[in-house]
Amino acid sequence: MSTYPRAERRRPLLSPRARKRMVARGLDALTCLVLLVMIAPVVWLILSSLQTEGRLSSGSYDLLHPTFKAFSQMWREIDFEHYFVNSLIICTAASALATAFAASAGYALARYAFRGSRTFSAAAIGTQLIPGSMFLLPVFMGMVWLGRHTPIALIDTRIGMVLVYTAFFTPVAIFFMRSFFLAIPRDIEDAAQVDGCTPLQAFVRVVLPSATPGLVATFVYAFLFAWDELLFVSALTQTHAETLPLGIRLFIGNYQEEYAPLMAAGVVSTIPVMVAFFATQKWLVRGLTAGAVKG
Amino acid sequence: MSIETLQPPPAGGDATAELLPSPAPRRRRRRTLRSHRLAYRLILPAAVFMVIVHLLPTLGGVVISFKNLNTFTFAKLFGAPWNGLENYRAILFDSANPLHSGFVDALRNSAIYTTTVVAGILVGGLAIALLMNRQMRGIRVIRTLMLTPWIVPSFVVASLWGFMWQSDVGIINKVLVDYTHVLGHRPVWLIGDNSIWAIVIPSIWRGLPFAMLIFLAGLQAVPRELHEAAAIDGAGPWQRFTRITLPLLRPLIAIQLLFNVIYATYQYAIPVVMMGTNPGPKADLMMTLIIRQSFSNNLFGFGSAASVLLMLAMGVWVAIWYRAFRRDLELAT
Repeated sequence: MSTYPRAERRRPLLSPRARKRMVARGLDALTCLVLLVMIAPVVWLILSSLQTEGRLSSGSYDLLHPTFKAFSQMWREIDFEHYFVNSLIICTAASALATAFAASAGYALARYAFRGSRTFSAAAIGTQLIPGSMFLLPVFMGMVWLGRHTPIALIDTRIGMVLVYTAFFTPVAIFFMRSFFLAIPRDIEDAAQVDGCTPLQAFVRVVLPSATPGLVATFVYAFLFAWDELLFVSALTQTHAETLPLGIRLFIGNYQEEYAPLMAAGVVSTIPVMVAFFATQKWLVRGLTAGAVKG
Repeated sequence: MSIETLQPPPAGGDATAELLPSPAPRRRRRRTLRSHRLAYRLILPAAVFMVIVHLLPTLGGVVISFKNLNTFTFAKLFGAPWNGLENYRAILFDSANPLHSGFVDALRNSAIYTTTVVAGILVGGLAIALLMNRQMRGIRVIRTLMLTPWIVPSFVVASLWGFMWQSDVGIINKVLVDYTHVLGHRPVWLIGDNSIWAIVIPSIWRGLPFAMLIFLAGLQAVPRELHEAAAIDGAGPWQRFTRITLPLLRPLIAIQLLFNVIYATYQYAIPVVMMGTNPGPKADLMMTLIIRQSFSNNLFGFGSAASVLLMLAMGVWVAIWYRAFRRDLELAT
């Protein structure tokens, strides 16, 4: 053992270049291994959804004979469509509203130094520090009060959930949009104003169209988070406006451990966000990493 | 299908590193009063929503924490009788009160959960980012695929891992016990001592890709010349990492640290979907405890008081964080 280093010094087993290449190949292999570990659970989700309930609960997987039975079973057993449609409508509407509000507020922060702008930014960050359990009950009580004393029905309605989610995802979206506006040269508004636009017209007609990638990225970002929300929707809805996170729990709660339909429901619940992500990935990644890289 | 856009945006674009407000450049002051009025109108919708959904209800929550709001008084809403500091006293000091021991358990579990999840996400994210920062065939596709866990919704993550953790039919025990014989007996993951790890590991798995994405973008922005110059001066890979890479990544690490701690502390979906509203004394987090006591047991005063304490703790964390990283943020902006 102790003679090995000396032997190596006399005649190296590998030239430095060959050793470097060996290390590189080793790291390549490690990269692939890490990737494999990271996506294995997703692969398992898909594989399990293509098995029957009997195979999963007895542990005798038959991966060579996939079947879509679990998908139709899942669709039949719970009113999956109800949850799915609610999720789509609520998350789309809330993300669109949040993006609109964030675009206008983000533009104000990017272009104007107005009194209170720092307070406003700090407050927007501050909203992220509040635990949901802190304001969930008052929001619930406020909605109940409105339902009793006014014709505004917000409990267990899609509108109620849209309004709550809009408020949730606007603050972060503001900073998202602001970064996109900062990247747009000021000249285009100045030119538009020389041509007779008011500042508001310049924003709506000139700046917003050129910020389309930012708007799309912000929308998708809000959508990913809205799709995921469980706490508020579980307290503020009962039978009409429930979304997927609640629907999927029926396979765990009321029914006993039905894994195949649960996995199938998981696959179907993931498809919309996957599609949204991969369709807009280029813009979204640029928006997410904008703070990481200084030009 | 590939992340080829990890390049600097055109100008000082900034989504995460500049979250804290910075003083505006002086030249902007030239804007007229009219434009300022426009600015106020532009922030109005967002401000109104934040006041109605965040600010007022949060104040309401503080008020409720001083009230005796439970099943019997709930019909009165905010008219419930005052309770002084009784809710706080019961949580913090009343050892005969089951809420107190539940609170201590949840506090401990949340501390373990947050520390391990955040450490796992940051260390793992940075390590994998270093790995992904190399050149190899198909690296762009690999980088994109690495993001997949982050896009899977939390409730799907929790159902999937809940299934994988099953003692008898779950794939994890099948691999560990039946296929590789690493373990001689079948561990129970979802109940008892192991249950905290049953929620920690999926949380790291889901959170890690995002940190990796941010760190990778930071690594790609490090000028190559710095590393080359240091290498010529005789610095080894480890020295270059600690002396060049890490200091340059500090602002990103700071932001990731701040938001991952908040996100982990307020985690609710993963334990609840995996283990139900009562994950048991070994996996009960602050949020699951508060929501269960508030909405299953109708102890709203208790829930609000615990929420206030949690928010105060978060305020302390942000203050510590700000003191530790203030200089990095100034450098970043």
